[in-house]
Amino acid sequence: MALRASFVLELQRALGATHVITEPEQLRVYECDGLTGHRAIPELVVLPGSTEDVQVILRACSREHVPFVARGAGTGLSGGATPLAGGVVVSLARMNRILEVDLASQRVIVEPGVANLDVTRAVVDEGFFYAPDPSSQQVCTIGGNVAENSGGAHCLKNGFTVHHVTGATLVLPDGETVELGGKALDPEGPDLLGMVVGSEGTLGIVTRVTLRVVRTPEAVQTLLAGFETTDAAGAAVSGIVAAGILPSALEMMDRLTIEAAELAVAPGYPAGAGAVLLVELDGVSAQVEEDAVEVERICADCGAFEIRAATNDLARALLWKGRKSAFAAMGRVATDYYVQDGVVPRTRLPGVLRRIEELSEIHGLRVGNVFHAGDGNLHPLVLYDAEQGETERARDLAEAILDACLDAGGSLTGEHGVGMDKACSMPRMFSERDLEVFGRVRRAFDPEGICNPGKVIPTPRLCGEVPGPYRVHPLERMDVAERL
Amino acid sequence: MPSVSSLAEAAEVLATAHAEGRRLTIGESLSTEGLDRILEHEAGDLTCTVEAGLRLSTLQHALAEHGQRLSLDPPGDPTVGALLARNQSGPLRHRFGAPRDLVLGVTLVLADGTIASAGGKVVKNVAGYDLARLVCGSQGRLALIARVSLRLHPLPKAEQSLAIETDGAASVVRALLGSQLQPSALDVLHPGGILVLFEGSPRAVKAQVAAAQGLVGGVEVDFEAWDVSRRRQSGARGRLRFDPGRLDDTLRGLAEAVVRPSAGVAYTADEQPSDTVSQGGIDQLIERIRSELDPNRVLAA
Repeated sequence: MALRASFVLELQRALGATHVITEPEQLRVYECDGLTGHRAIPELVVLPGSTEDVQVILRACSREHVPFVARGAGTGLSGGATPLAGGVVVSLARMNRILEVDLASQRVIVEPGVANLDVTRAVVDEGFFYAPDPSSQQVCTIGGNVAENSGGAHCLKNGFTVHHVTGATLVLPDGETVELGGKALDPEGPDLLGMVVGSEGTLGIVTRVTLRVVRTPEAVQTLLAGFETTDAAGAAVSGIVAAGILPSALEMMDRLTIEAAELAVAPGYPAGAGAVLLVELDGVSAQVEEDAVEVERICADCGAFEIRAATNDLARALLWKGRKSAFAAMGRVATDYYVQDGVVPRTRLPGVLRRIEELSEIHGLRVGNVFHAGDGNLHPLVLYDAEQGETERARDLAEAILDACLDAGGSLTGEHGVGMDKACSMPRMFSERDLEVFGRVRRAFDPEGICNPGKVIPTPRLCGEVPGPYRVHPLERMDVAERL
Repeated sequence: MPSVSSLAEAAEVLATAHAEGRRLTIGESLSTEGLDRILEHEAGDLTCTVEAGLRLSTLQHALAEHGQRLSLDPPGDPTVGALLARNQSGPLRHRFGAPRDLVLGVTLVLADGTIASAGGKVVKNVAGYDLARLVCGSQGRLALIARVSLRLHPLPKAEQSLAIETDGAASVVRALLGSQLQPSALDVLHPGGILVLFEGSPRAVKAQVAAAQGLVGGVEVDFEAWDVSRRRQSGARGRLRFDPGRLDDTLRGLAEAVVRPSAGVAYTADEQPSDTVSQGGIDQLIERIRSELDPNRVLAA
């Protein structure tokens, strides 16, 4: 579908010709996000500089029934920003100003194109930071974080993006704006803001975001413990939780991912470890010191054969080095790998890990596990070789792992989002009725279906008429008899 | 008043009203008190799933047996459904947030009898629209909340409250919030008083209290001191939201209030104008959501 020349001209006049991209070579830059398997060349890319620009764009799209998708840094892993053929990409790259730093209120107001880490940079000298820390935080934008409700290694204690966004200006798909929340919390009425955060760009475009920044903690301590097996490390995780300790981060790596990390960045993790547990504690000094002693004791009781502690930034960076490089390091042990993002209740981790091992053997492909153990968010890395024709098998294995997560009462995605990648998997977690209700809510925001269509909610066109096998929703499982 | 005790019953009562064009008000002309079971409490996961008619006190009692709590302490003893629908919180809001911050998933019954779930029971989950948050603050006017999954916290091993008498509440609050202390609650009992709660291990609590006293003075008081705060909140005739940085100005304009400074919320003895005035766009949007979820306006107030 080609866009009408008058439509393009209208946007060129409103935004300036340099902010409307039509050249095929330049359009190609926007053909995918971090999920590179899905590509489409957009018809047009526009770069608004203000809320008013975004309103002009969406009014025009709405009038002409042209689908659009908002885009930040394009680091998303679920294809949330994959363009729609024949549609418009609205890049928020130019809207990258920090509008207000109000530390008396502990709030920062930003445009959506501001990089996550730049929020912390703006307040760190005053002793504050912006808590959500997705691993792409150097480049990923606040707008993208809002769309995906991004987490990060430290969200176990600090919460997700939704816990740190207090207000937003939302341009609805018809071009009208609504102000959600503000610097003060608890606005009257339904929590629209809480639903817009994490809606993957399907309910409108956020053009201004009010963020909560928090005081840097008095003390931070990082511990790294080497175990023989993931079971032993898992027992330590349970022990820490049972002791009433809430670490800011609780991460685990298994043998394969440790080996890959050693090859890639040589973090010097405990030799021969079958699992490494990384525990970070923060807060008031007295509490952190006490918890650290307790965590060390629990790890030792669970069979940790080596425990290292770091109390300064340099030593801490060394302990984190292997974990932070884990995904990229996989390139050292396999030509291709597929990152899965499933969630299970923390207590089900050991069982699910064993199941993943079985599945790995059945499919004849290796799986590395690196995960946020504290909140049960698994990132199994399925290793394969595309040139050996293993792609299909790798995908099947990744899907089987997801099924294992859902069977354990978990979720399709903990932080990467549904986007394009998992839209067709949604019927495995939600019933037809659940999805129909999602559709109703979406229609209230976007009656014409032009705002990032084809993402999040499966459509017959996208997924075929037959949805995947439905699994009882975790909330229904407890009382299946009542299911109507 | 009809009372429902299962999802199926709730769906039937609502669907009938929908078909007959009748109105129902949850908690008034439709009781959920029969939906009062704890469906699951997995202590090791620090999560639970309950039916929405369950009283908060009953839930807290059951959780306490496992050394855990739901970190919400509003005045009174609402049902879990009402807690969400009114987005109620108490002093612990300072550290732990409001219902929207602790809810993981819901099962809703729409006015036409449709039963739908959103979210899940795990603490980390970004699949689908977050209807669990959407119904927080909805006043029972979008759908009936039937089941709720919640994030829990361990009960603190020790706690100590500190009371500070002051004419300059704003500067005391500024000193506390600017410090690296981590109180669980911080209320201004305007005029003249501030209450702070520290929780944690006995040694850490003692250290925090000492540090706070060094910073702003104050005396240790019993936990019962918080009753004043809760009483004032429940007796408040108005609620005011303000930029947290403008606490000083805000207090100057208030006669008597309990104020949560980090949230920017004051519960006032005097009436306040509703803060939804001049939010035309939002009202229209909410109306559109309502007509999708409840086209026959069964749950309209």
